[in-house]
Amino acid sequence: MTRPARARRAVAAAASAVLACSVLTACGGGDSGPATLNWYINPDGQDTLNALAKSCSTDEYTIKINLLPSSATDQRTQLARRLAAKDSSTDLMSLDPVFVPEFANAKWLLPFKGDLAGKVLDDDVLKGIAETVQWDDQVVAAPQWANTQVLWYRKSLAEAAGLDMTKPVTWDQVIDAASENDGTVGVQANKYEAYVVWINSLIQGAGGNILDPSTVESGRDAKVTISSQAGEDAAAVIRKLARSKAAQPDFTTSNEGTSLGQMYPAQGAGEFMTNWTFVYKNYEGLLGKPGGPKDKAELEDLGFTRYPQTVAGQESKPPVGGIDIGVGAYSKHPDLAQQAAICVTDAKAQSALAVNEGLMPSRQSVYDSDELKKAYPPALLTLWRESVDSGGPRPKSAFYSQISSAIQSRWHSPTSVGPGTPKRSASFLEDILSGKALL
Amino acid sequence: MSNVKERVGTGVGVTLILLWCLLPVAWIVSLSFKSQEAVTNGSPGFFPASGAGAGFDNYKQVLQDDAFLLAIRNSIVVSLSATILSVALATLAAYAIARLEFRGKKFVLTTALVIAMFPVVSLVGPLFDMWRTVGLYDTWWGLMIPYISFTLPLAIWTLSAFFREIPWEMEQAAQVDGATPWQAFRKVIVPLAAPGVFTAAILTFFFAWNDFVFGISLTSTERARPIPAALSFFVGADPFNRPASLLAAAAVVATIPIVVLVLFFQRKIVAGLTAGAVKG
Amino acid sequence: MTTTEARPTSHKPSKPPKAPDSDRSRSENRLALKLVALPLALMLLVTAFPMLRALYLSLFDYSLTAPDDRTFIGLSNYVTALTDGLFWRDTLITVFIMVVTVSFELVIGFAFAMVMHKVIFARGVIRTSILIPYGVITVVSGFAWQFAFSNTNGFVNSWLPFIDTDFNWFAEQGSSLVAIMASEIWKTTPFMSLLLLAGLAQVSEDMIEAAKVDGATWFQRLYKVILPNMRAAIMVAVLFRALDAYRIFDNIFVMTAGANNTESISFLTYRQVIEQFQLGIGSALSVLLFLSVLVVAAVIVKLFRVDLADARQG
Repeated sequence: MTRPARARRAVAAAASAVLACSVLTACGGGDSGPATLNWYINPDGQDTLNALAKSCSTDEYTIKINLLPSSATDQRTQLARRLAAKDSSTDLMSLDPVFVPEFANAKWLLPFKGDLAGKVLDDDVLKGIAETVQWDDQVVAAPQWANTQVLWYRKSLAEAAGLDMTKPVTWDQVIDAASENDGTVGVQANKYEAYVVWINSLIQGAGGNILDPSTVESGRDAKVTISSQAGEDAAAVIRKLARSKAAQPDFTTSNEGTSLGQMYPAQGAGEFMTNWTFVYKNYEGLLGKPGGPKDKAELEDLGFTRYPQTVAGQESKPPVGGIDIGVGAYSKHPDLAQQAAICVTDAKAQSALAVNEGLMPSRQSVYDSDELKKAYPPALLTLWRESVDSGGPRPKSAFYSQISSAIQSRWHSPTSVGPGTPKRSASFLEDILSGKALL
Repeated sequence: MSNVKERVGTGVGVTLILLWCLLPVAWIVSLSFKSQEAVTNGSPGFFPASGAGAGFDNYKQVLQDDAFLLAIRNSIVVSLSATILSVALATLAAYAIARLEFRGKKFVLTTALVIAMFPVVSLVGPLFDMWRTVGLYDTWWGLMIPYISFTLPLAIWTLSAFFREIPWEMEQAAQVDGATPWQAFRKVIVPLAAPGVFTAAILTFFFAWNDFVFGISLTSTERARPIPAALSFFVGADPFNRPASLLAAAAVVATIPIVVLVLFFQRKIVAGLTAGAVKG
Repeated sequence: MTTTEARPTSHKPSKPPKAPDSDRSRSENRLALKLVALPLALMLLVTAFPMLRALYLSLFDYSLTAPDDRTFIGLSNYVTALTDGLFWRDTLITVFIMVVTVSFELVIGFAFAMVMHKVIFARGVIRTSILIPYGVITVVSGFAWQFAFSNTNGFVNSWLPFIDTDFNWFAEQGSSLVAIMASEIWKTTPFMSLLLLAGLAQVSEDMIEAAKVDGATWFQRLYKVILPNMRAAIMVAVLFRALDAYRIFDNIFVMTAGANNTESISFLTYRQVIEQFQLGIGSALSVLLFLSVLVVAAVIVKLFRVDLADARQG
């Protein structure tokens, strides 16, 4: 191996291998067999998505599942890097709705046109969700499921606190009720996307917005409106929880998973927790296991109600999320990929995701289906649908990831949030949008 | 009297060294035996609590995880190929540096030194941009090329230090017998240099196996993603929490090749690490 | 780089006398150039070329998510970076991590080296164990320590008597940095101690013995005989570890992802380029990162050079 001639040959071989590789990727999949469509999924609901990939495959194409990392930010990074490299093997991708504008703006998503667009966005799709897949008057992705947060709680804890849960509750009430009754309040306050979800909902719940909704789509020229009374109200809630006994030990690094265990703790009265729809299936599956309800009675002690109000009397704006399916702009099989996208987002697929995985539909008809009514308490289904319908979206901007990072950088750690925070984050956000500051 | 004191002191020192080196390793092994349920619900303590043990479940699961198996494949292929190529190239350069007088030697050494100090992060941006244009992004070669370049300095130093210890009179003798410098190199020196080459190879392998910056920046799928990057993206059954014990099991698996190399070649590794750096 | 003189190449006792025949020296020159050409080219391909490209891109406002909007803006990116508090805060954090970790590593590594130098039994076992942290993947070390410090699954809180069991190490800057530095120090002290051990082996036993006979205390022997005689080894060890520490990235990525002001300058650059796709300002940061590494190297070389000169005079 030490002979230079051999080494030179090795390098030459290497070079030709590289060449062959890129030629292969450029024309791979062109054989006579069915085409392979790569679908990049996020880790929620893997089992059902794998089954969907199988059942949606046809004679013409086979859908191959590829797993993305678990955090929304990492998912975006991975996909964006592939697409920036004009990768032709990215056919289908599961996208968090907040990243759709950025991807569409960079022309990384293949729009659905004509009949297909009509199929993706018919009247059955919930209004708030339909909004997330449109950019520049085009349908750029297909909604697959919708997510929303509600307030989960132990009925016994609310009772002990004398809180009437049939009426809307406020964050103040919830924090006081928990801290006075040996309970805790579970939120998502680590330095990551879901913390922005919380902040955004708090602000919208007080009638404000991070960016002015009428200018948000103009990208860098959007007007920053976070420095407002609503911003201050939101900061006050975070500050109150941070200083309360009800804050969980890992408050500043908490995520959707960390507070699950506090609902049925070994000691203490349990918690109030704002969290996504998967929570119900999660506790059902943990019945009798550590971290879950001891018995049926404890499971029935799990209550749910509308997301808390930021300001008493003003309707809350529950967070909405979910997943849209985009088709890569550089795909070698654009037509097949769009066909597949429609298959994995149809009513049957959505029903399977809802029943098996707790990932809620984006279509009205699926909420009304018998399968769902069998799987979930009707009251919960209604709560979810209403929450999705009246929820507050995060800023619909092609610069969302920078906006989100900017908010995270000024609002984290939550223990440092106070009256000056909205103002500070506003001027920082302006600098970021105009490219005058580092993120 | 002072002799006894010194011995006791050395004994204590040895114990401390062993604790320092092995305790965190023991911890990660112990963690890998905690059950995932126990970890999700919180199970503090060094050892798995009674009833919270998982046996070899985590290992079984890790070794059935396609993404992780592919990462192992990628890491092995990329690290081994980079090692072989890098050491082959470094051998040539080190021979020239240790044995031959030539203009530009200082330049080669300076370049190598600067590269050894190079902040790799400052390269990932332009490299990503280059790789995506030439189609090397998310490929084995896309990782191997930077690995080779960044291990060359280490390999060149280690090897030239070793080469300087070789009795070159034998080469001269061969040359007197009519061999060209090239023949003398191949027939006489290569066998003598083999141990040094081997040592350089181990150190190079360690570097490639350990790399994280290139691993996450220049890959995006299982096609080329190496173990460290795969670990940082590890997803368990619960998508919201890092599956600590599962990750620990994967980490132990990823550490096994290192431990094996260390067990068999500890003397050589130490010699290699210090040869390049201290003599002078 | 003047530091090449610390490398072994500066003197070659075994070098045969140069052949008088200039043909021979010319052929030697040619062979040498052939031998180094490929490695050198490869090293430059992956470093010099991208660096020049970074230099070029740093003059543009260029984002991969809006590739059509690339505009030439001169040195504005550098102005933005250098007038931004974040840049200086992260530089400060990086320097802090570097100084603290290298100091700890130097002291602990020296202690380990002394023990290993003295020890006559179980040398293989010690050598094997000390190489394990060195070989362990940094990401694995990061995870091990992150979980060790975790208040839900770790053991540190229950082992440290003055720490509350619920204490969250990753909730604030100071304690997060402690965890990060613990991982860094754990993994790299062995390397330091091996380099120092090699340096220690070169200090002549006779000199130490002579000092002992003259009645020098242990402390005096250490300061007057041992340390001055292993300055070269210490310098190499410190230089390498310091530059390595200055580039800290893996541990921060794994343990905190930069939360609570634990971001290093490498991490900042990575985020601009790879997460935000801001190739313009990201390239400017890349260039600044490279320059700052050179500054750190120069400072360390300078500091130790003065010392070396003093030692020679004394």
